[in-house]
Amino acid sequence: MHARTIVVLAMRNLRRQMRRTMLTAAVMVIGGALLIFAFALSDGTHEQWIDSGIRTSTGHVTIEQPEFRTSRRIENRLATDLRRKTEHALASPEIAGQVVAVSSRLSISALASSAAGARPAQILAVDPVAEARFSTLDDQLVEGRYLEPDDRLAAYIGVGLASSLELRLGSRLVVQAEDTEHEIAAQLLRVVGIFRNGVPEVDQAVVHIPLQTAGEWLGSHHDVTNVGVVLTGSTAVAAVTAHLERALVDPIARGDARVMGWREANPALAAAIAIDSFGNYLMFGILFIIIAFGIVNTILMSVLHRHREFGVLQALGLTPGQTGTIVLVEGLTLTAVSGFIGVSLGLLATWYFFGDGLDMSALMGEDMTFSGVVIDPVMVPQFRLVRIAQILTFILCIGAVASIYPALRAAKIDIAESMKFER
Amino acid sequence: MSESNTPAVRTEGIWKVFQQEAEEIQAVRDVSLTVERGEFTAIAGPSGSGKTTLLNLIGGLTRPTRGRVWVAGQEVSEMSNQQLAQLRLDQVGFVFQAFNLLPVLTAMENAEFPMLLQGVAADERAARIDELFKRTGMSGLEDRRPGKLSGGQQQRVAVVRAVASRPALVLADEPTANLDSATSEALLDVMLELNRDLGVTFVFATHDARVMGRSRRLVQMVDGRIDSDETRA
Repeated sequence: MHARTIVVLAMRNLRRQMRRTMLTAAVMVIGGALLIFAFALSDGTHEQWIDSGIRTSTGHVTIEQPEFRTSRRIENRLATDLRRKTEHALASPEIAGQVVAVSSRLSISALASSAAGARPAQILAVDPVAEARFSTLDDQLVEGRYLEPDDRLAAYIGVGLASSLELRLGSRLVVQAEDTEHEIAAQLLRVVGIFRNGVPEVDQAVVHIPLQTAGEWLGSHHDVTNVGVVLTGSTAVAAVTAHLERALVDPIARGDARVMGWREANPALAAAIAIDSFGNYLMFGILFIIIAFGIVNTILMSVLHRHREFGVLQALGLTPGQTGTIVLVEGLTLTAVSGFIGVSLGLLATWYFFGDGLDMSALMGEDMTFSGVVIDPVMVPQFRLVRIAQILTFILCIGAVASIYPALRAAKIDIAESMKFER
Repeated sequence: MSESNTPAVRTEGIWKVFQQEAEEIQAVRDVSLTVERGEFTAIAGPSGSGKTTLLNLIGGLTRPTRGRVWVAGQEVSEMSNQQLAQLRLDQVGFVFQAFNLLPVLTAMENAEFPMLLQGVAADERAARIDELFKRTGMSGLEDRRPGKLSGGQQQRVAVVRAVASRPALVLADEPTANLDSATSEALLDVMLELNRDLGVTFVFATHDARVMGRSRRLVQMVDGRIDSDETRA
């Protein structure tokens, strides 16, 4: 009965100062909507960055020989049976719903040369069909075509390398690299397609060739240097990594394989996202501290104006704790209702105005890149239930924290003194 | 009302000393007083004589600096805040000079508020309020908020609120101070009737001659002490 009485009193007190309540609620609604809007765009942008970064590198998850990442040498590769075992593990029904593409690749440093000169190149030997699902490079075609399953001596190169070596479609180039016998081996290739990625390091160095060609050229047969996996989203990384670590427990224990998420494989991208997120948290932390002071002010003013009433309530038999609870319920109700409305409006507005993305190309210009990531000028918001729950919880916590001091003031009044108040 | 034979109130050598900057103010000095159940007692005295402080001490709104207070046989002086709240809820009804109804509640809700806290069943609450509203001439005004009631009507609701929870005593601090003569007389009639018919114990702090004149016991206070204590027939 006490609980109901306390809630009724709190609700009526909120209604009593409707203008003050509405003004505070409006601030919370705007704050909540902004929070949802900003984090939906930020989460969407980060997911774009991750997708862009991982598709031109090693995926959301990569399985490699532990020393390959530092040595970049062909001897630190995954043997064919380990590659097959990894691909088998990735086909497991347990994670199949989270796996979008798997590409087993041989990545080696090489020297590419033509009649016009020589340039360092990053050879990525791939299965053309699997790689087309994995990478976005095949979509960034400028001239010619991407690799096809029957290709033998085909090369798919970036516009930077084509320009440096004065290569066109059909041009021949020679690539030289260390083979599995530690000998320098050369391979003649013919340009079948030219791409433009936007990241200078990619456009000037990356050369896609058929995996079979590389196996014969370097003596690596069906071995690869990594198995890259693209997932439905970055949130699936932990589950898939854990599954692979269980499936490959023996090779991992022997030091033959290592499973890495994109954060570990691409620390620069992870750091960039962390810094950007920190900036968002800081900005909204400051905004909500200001809002919290607004709530404290509103509720404290209300408490001070009702000093005598709290005295009456306690004289009538309410305990100090119950008196403070009325104030807490007022604060929490105000923040919960306005927070919920704010989040709902934020979701609706974000979906209505920016569901297809917010085009920032007028501000960004072309080809903004960092850490191997091409920044898409169209920011597409991402709605995540976890994020919405986090924001609602955060708003409620702000409301609770902001109500504590006024509640303590209400609980700790001197009843006899409060009766003199306003008399 | 309780059928116990213990006095409604007993104080034994109570003092209340306030520290105001460097000055020590002795608001109540060595007061020993017993109020039996069913009394209609006025504590009178000029402003600053300590009558309101004495009422606050009896009602557990403030604690004595020295001495002991019993309300309905329970010693108040050593009670925790929680126990004091329970004592006020069950044993003491308050009527204040400024009415002090809760503005967000209707007359009916104000009157039944202590009973809600006590957990009295809804039908019992309704029956008590109905009877008391009839006795006090407030029937038909149950749904009005305090802002829509006159001062006299508000004070009648306050009296109903104080009595409806069936406390051992009702403490009324200057209940007629904000009312005109006719309204004050009418309110006193109501309280006397409740005292006579229902045995409600009333203790007033007042300097209103009307209240003093109609009380059956008059305790005069001067400078925090009881100056005289006179019981009338």
